[in-house]
Amino acid sequence: MKRSMTALAVTSVLTATTLALAGCSGSTGTGSGATAGTAAPVTLTMWGTYGNGGNTAQTDVLNKTLIPSFEASHPGITVKYVDIPYDSLKQKLTTGAAGGELPDLVRSDIGWVAQFASLGVLAPLDEKMSDFSTLSAATYPGSLATNAWNGHYYGLPLDTNTRVLVTSQAALDAAGMSKPPATFDDLKAMAAALKGKKIAVFADSGLQGWNILPWIWSGGGEITDAKLTKATGYLDGSKSVAAVQMLVDLYKQGEIPNLLTGNTGATSTSDGLPKGEYATILDGPWMRDIWKGQFPAFAPIYAPVPAGAGGSISVVGGEDVVIPSTTTHLDAATAFVRYTQSDEFQLAMAKVGQMPVVASAGTKAAAADPFYAPFATQLATAKPRLVIPQSSQVDTILSTELTPAFEGTTTVQAALTSAAKQIDALLTSK
Amino acid sequence: MIDSTQPQVVRAAVSPVAARTTRRRRRAGRATPYLFLAPALVLFVGLIVYPMVRAFQMSFYDWKVLAGATSTFIGFDNYTRAMGDPVFWRGLANSGVYMALSVPPQIVLGLLIAMLLKAKSPSQPVYRVLFYLPVVTSWVVVSLLFKYLFADKGVINWALADVLHLGDGSTSWLSGRWTALIAICALGVWKGIGWSMMIFLAALQGVPESLEEAAVMDGANRWQRFRVVTLPAIRPALGFVVVMLVIGGFNVFTSVLLMTGGGPGGQTEVLLTYMYRQAFTNLDFGYGSAIAVILTVIVFLLSLAQMRLFRGGDEEER
Repeated sequence: MKRSMTALAVTSVLTATTLALAGCSGSTGTGSGATAGTAAPVTLTMWGTYGNGGNTAQTDVLNKTLIPSFEASHPGITVKYVDIPYDSLKQKLTTGAAGGELPDLVRSDIGWVAQFASLGVLAPLDEKMSDFSTLSAATYPGSLATNAWNGHYYGLPLDTNTRVLVTSQAALDAAGMSKPPATFDDLKAMAAALKGKKIAVFADSGLQGWNILPWIWSGGGEITDAKLTKATGYLDGSKSVAAVQMLVDLYKQGEIPNLLTGNTGATSTSDGLPKGEYATILDGPWMRDIWKGQFPAFAPIYAPVPAGAGGSISVVGGEDVVIPSTTTHLDAATAFVRYTQSDEFQLAMAKVGQMPVVASAGTKAAAADPFYAPFATQLATAKPRLVIPQSSQVDTILSTELTPAFEGTTTVQAALTSAAKQIDALLTSK
Repeated sequence: MIDSTQPQVVRAAVSPVAARTTRRRRRAGRATPYLFLAPALVLFVGLIVYPMVRAFQMSFYDWKVLAGATSTFIGFDNYTRAMGDPVFWRGLANSGVYMALSVPPQIVLGLLIAMLLKAKSPSQPVYRVLFYLPVVTSWVVVSLLFKYLFADKGVINWALADVLHLGDGSTSWLSGRWTALIAICALGVWKGIGWSMMIFLAALQGVPESLEEAAVMDGANRWQRFRVVTLPAIRPALGFVVVMLVIGGFNVFTSVLLMTGGGPGGQTEVLLTYMYRQAFTNLDFGYGSAIAVILTVIVFLLSLAQMRLFRGGDEEER
């Protein structure tokens, strides 16, 4: 009896230990150590967010058309795509880097590349791919710039998007306008025309770079100098201040709702525009499918971001394809990266809602589907947010400093001066 | 007590092989309880103690997340940085405000409901389940629910304006620091009452009826009976509930992250959302860990003080 009790205890200890160890080691092996070029078959693992929000259109094209086509032209290479929800990908990459368990390819948000590159997680593709300069020259410069860090490029653009002005016929009618507001002055006139009609002239859901930079750039302002060394004198320059001041004035007149300063209880932009609460918003090409499902009768009108002294300049979004430095299949992984830049890949993804990053493919996609034309035009001048590892901190600084300016407890000049000082500190420590 | 000479007697009496087996059995017998403890201990050390020690270690480094990367030891820099960080202090204040506003109602209302549900009635199990239901519901689900309740065009504003005729219902609850904290506290109280109710119900079952009856005989009214008989009898349970709720109050996280995201402009950031942002958004694990360590020390000291307080009271009564 006693012996069997001991045996039971020993067994349970072993089971628990095994469980604990299994829990620590994770489960995403990247296959054998063989490299492409040898005869041994290679399995590439790729992490991405194509299926975010239960959208199977893009994962289907990838898994059923593009990957099989790549595998057919590259015998011996198998690509295993793992779809990860957008909200958890960054955390998964972080823990993967900490545990040394990363895939061979990642479809990364453009805002994360510099951050992970600075940590040494990514392979410098400009050193690893002999044809990098040819491939990169074919992409939009604004998208390519998001891959740069410390004199090297750590990825290539994969897909892109940008924000344009979206309005509705109902809003234009209410304001007595025949076309969407094309300039800052048009927007102010629209606000005046909408006064008392319970329609906000413009709505947006935050004061981060993604939200506020199109206004600053279009107003002729800048965030930093070209070499990313200083924000003081740029972010708090007179043109930047004037652009933000226009928004603050409209906000104080009640023409922009407090969704802008982070009221999570306000009507969202995607609901407010079709419901007639908001006259204009800035948004991206993904809205077409969202509205198609939720507001089938709504016919959005797309137009360039209103132009100020600096023209009509929007902000670049999208994803890059990167290779973690831990991969043991570098040749096979670079072959797939090369394939993502092909017309075949870019145009197939364009059909399911991802805008091409290769300029020639972008022109073809816009010709095939006129819906993309306003976005392609806007992209020609769109700029990326600061490509530094601390880009998420820049967002926090902007929204923390600007919120009091909109609420009226400080001036725009004071808010931007304080933000510029903090960003200066980040730039010197990068 | 076993005589120490006994084993020798036994050994002399049996063959050497049998004696060895007996010794081994006895040794194995002594090890058995530890082997039974081991699975839980292995998991506890591996999943709780080790990460805690690691986080403590990280808080003294400029921690590099990459496996194999060298992190720089920076001593107390992360801690001094927190002392000079206004967002840290605002987060601490918000966590404190949440604790102060959400703990007392959970105790008072939890006890009140427990008193009401103590009486036996056919509907009693139904009410117990209903009050306990929020406790077992997912934080994510109820946080989103409360976000919609407190939205500009949500049920709360509608009820205030159209049902109760208090104001015009145009309050943007989630757009200001204090109104948003009220909404977050309301969720905490609603979700927490059931838990304290359950503990109090269990404690109330243990109040001797003879004492109650004696108090009635002495002419004590309801309030006097509650104050002199019930309250002292459930004192240990009360102490437990207070300590646990204060710890829980300082650990508020999910509801804030989902209802306001720390906004607007970081006004409703609490210590844990700020820690999470530093670690997982900015990948500054050293600073995030330092914030976690500071919070642990605060909660530990508070719990210690409370336990002293409740124990001290007991001794005085005795």
